[in-house]
Amino acid sequence: MEPELATPFRERAGRALDDRFLQEALTVATTKFITLRREAFAELPEGDALRDQARAIKEATLQRLDYWLERLIERIESRGGHVHYATSADEARRVVLDIARRTGARMAVKSKSMATEEIHLNDALQAAGVTPVETDLGEYIIQLAHERPSHIIAPAIHKTKGQVAELFARELGRETEPDPEVLTRIARAELRQKFLDADLGISGANFAVAETGTVVLVTNEGNGRMVTSLPRVHVAVMGVEKVIPSMTDLAVFLAILAKSATGQKLSVYTSLVNGPRRGGEPEGPEELHLVLLDNGRVRQIAGPLREALNCLRCGACLNVCPVYRQIGGHAYGYTYPGPIGILLTAMLNGPAAVKDLAHASSLCGACMDACPVRIDIPKMLIELRREVDQQGIAPWPERAVFGAFAWLLQRPRLYRLSARLGRLLQRPFVRGGRIRWLPGLFGEWTRTRDLPAVARRTFHERWAALEREARR
Amino acid sequence: MTTKAEFFDRIRAEMARTPGRAPSALAARPVRPREGLDVLRRELSERWRENLDRFQHELERVGGVLHRVAEAGEVPDVVAQIAAERGMHRVVTWPRDTLGVDVAAPLVTRGFDAAVMPGTEVAAAERARLRGLAAAADLGVTGAEVAIAETGTLVVVSGAGRPRSTSLLPACHVAVFERDVLVESLVQMGLVLEAWHEGAEPSWRGAAINFITGPSRTADIELTLTRGVHGPKEVHAVFVERGLSVARRA
Ligand code: SF4
Repeated sequence: MEPELATPFRERAGRALDDRFLQEALTVATTKFITLRREAFAELPEGDALRDQARAIKEATLQRLDYWLERLIERIESRGGHVHYATSADEARRVVLDIARRTGARMAVKSKSMATEEIHLNDALQAAGVTPVETDLGEYIIQLAHERPSHIIAPAIHKTKGQVAELFARELGRETEPDPEVLTRIARAELRQKFLDADLGISGANFAVAETGTVVLVTNEGNGRMVTSLPRVHVAVMGVEKVIPSMTDLAVFLAILAKSATGQKLSVYTSLVNGPRRGGEPEGPEELHLVLLDNGRVRQIAGPLREALNCLRCGACLNVCPVYRQIGGHAYGYTYPGPIGILLTAMLNGPAAVKDLAHASSLCGACMDACPVRIDIPKMLIELRREVDQQGIAPWPERAVFGAFAWLLQRPRLYRLSARLGRLLQRPFVRGGRIRWLPGLFGEWTRTRDLPAVARRTFHERWAALEREARR
Repeated sequence: MTTKAEFFDRIRAEMARTPGRAPSALAARPVRPREGLDVLRRELSERWRENLDRFQHELERVGGVLHRVAEAGEVPDVVAQIAAERGMHRVVTWPRDTLGVDVAAPLVTRGFDAAVMPGTEVAAAERARLRGLAAAADLGVTGAEVAIAETGTLVVVSGAGRPRSTSLLPACHVAVFERDVLVESLVQMGLVLEAWHEGAEPSWRGAAINFITGPSRTADIELTLTRGVHGPKEVHAVFVERGLSVARRA
């Protein structure tokens, strides 16, 4: 269960809005990511064509998903790897725990993986006596702080260097000045030993190439390489939608992924893993396991959220989202934040989980513009809102008000009358053309935003006046 | 636990219910990638100077350093200089077969502590010892199977005599390469990867192919760019004009 959910969304968002540091950090981080991304694509004239191509590849793969998954499995097994099938998060955890138990693992080093966050693997490992160690610096920091990632790409953007220094002093017994360089050096030393000692390496997968049976990991720090090379056993947990057909397809995705995420032409390390250690190789895991994860994905193949299966988890849509930029990742309350996070949360946990979140979007479309595979997030959000409404998940006052509004909209005469009535009734509340406070039920709206006042003359009236003038 | 059959039954059931199909197309794959790659390599051999310059430019942008030498025999000098400038003493290196030049012996002569990684299968205990050597080393010398000009990327393939840790555990990574490994773009790299996976793979090739684009980096603390978080803090590419002889070229 997600601990953040004890408080309602509005309160979580409110807390984020009051957090001065978070506000500053969010603005700086998201603005920087946006600029870097824009610059990277400006250097790539074929960028738009590549994005179209990437989208078409994703769709083509989805249309023959069974075929490509079968091919992937066959190739991985022919390389001596093992493939496991997990329908639910619980099953995925059990698969990993079984592997840990069978191989006698005591410590697991992990490279950043949203899929293992999604199934809450760390708690399960801990409970089973296997110490999980997050090795991405940002993830390591929030693991020490017992928190959750606040951004897909930069999990600890909500923390100051001062807070990190305090954390290291408290948790590692290392007193130090709050200098990112020094702090990074301390983390390197701490984690280096863990890499060498760990029995189990756990990763996600950015892609898996079906034709070759290759698991592909993209990292900047090098922890992906460590995790897949040093421990005896490597387990990769991957959503079924991450399979791509060929190396040619991979090149297309690599050309846009890092540019969308961090504005780099390529991330520092792209690691292609072709099975366990081979004869003659001095390093590499003796066992390789791929856990194919459904967890709500498969039912969306024919579902309203199908397009969300194309997501590369680059984080670009978070950075440009006016809502994310204000409230940050934690306020969303689930593993995946931001506009795509709302859809993924609905995918994983059902539409009821997003009855509030479905509205945490201005539907401005910035996410779709930024998305490397042009996922139509706004369309699916609207669809979700409809679903939430139809299932009667939305609170009844909200449904009542919007129901009445819809009824009114279908009756022009009555509508015009009520507009006039509204103009009259609003008088005591209008300040400078806006309504900032309303009583009772309507106050729910004005609590967090202004309502534009009903215009002195309606559009209909102005149009009629214009026509009269034109005739004159 | 879900069986493979059950897992696929569910996927197929959902696929059967899929309404209308959106436009889709896979990337056009080369029909005979190895032949295609041969043709490409011939074309590229005429543009290697431009590609090397571009590679240098991009490598420097990501914080790497390019060194150019005329003869393979000068490689140990470059390595010695890099190490000496940084007060580094312990070096691990790929063997002559996979590197194309002997680096260890000349370094030892100059007083460095240089260890050569084995070229063949060794027992588990020995593997553990070798990993310890790499973990303790300051500098690691490897070859590179491809250098991508567009991104400043070195592609390093693991295998016998090509340990992964040499380019990963030491604080400084030096990769040695020559002109015929240069390609222009990621798209061309796609062709290389197709060719490498066409038909049976050669026995020398290991399980890991790593693209390395500059030194390890993070910006996880207040977005401050910091190098060398887990992988090397420095990446040096040494371009050798003549005389590098790598056995078992990919
Ligand atoms: S929806 Fe698009 S922009 Fe957002 S994380 Fe996924 S791929 Fe990136």
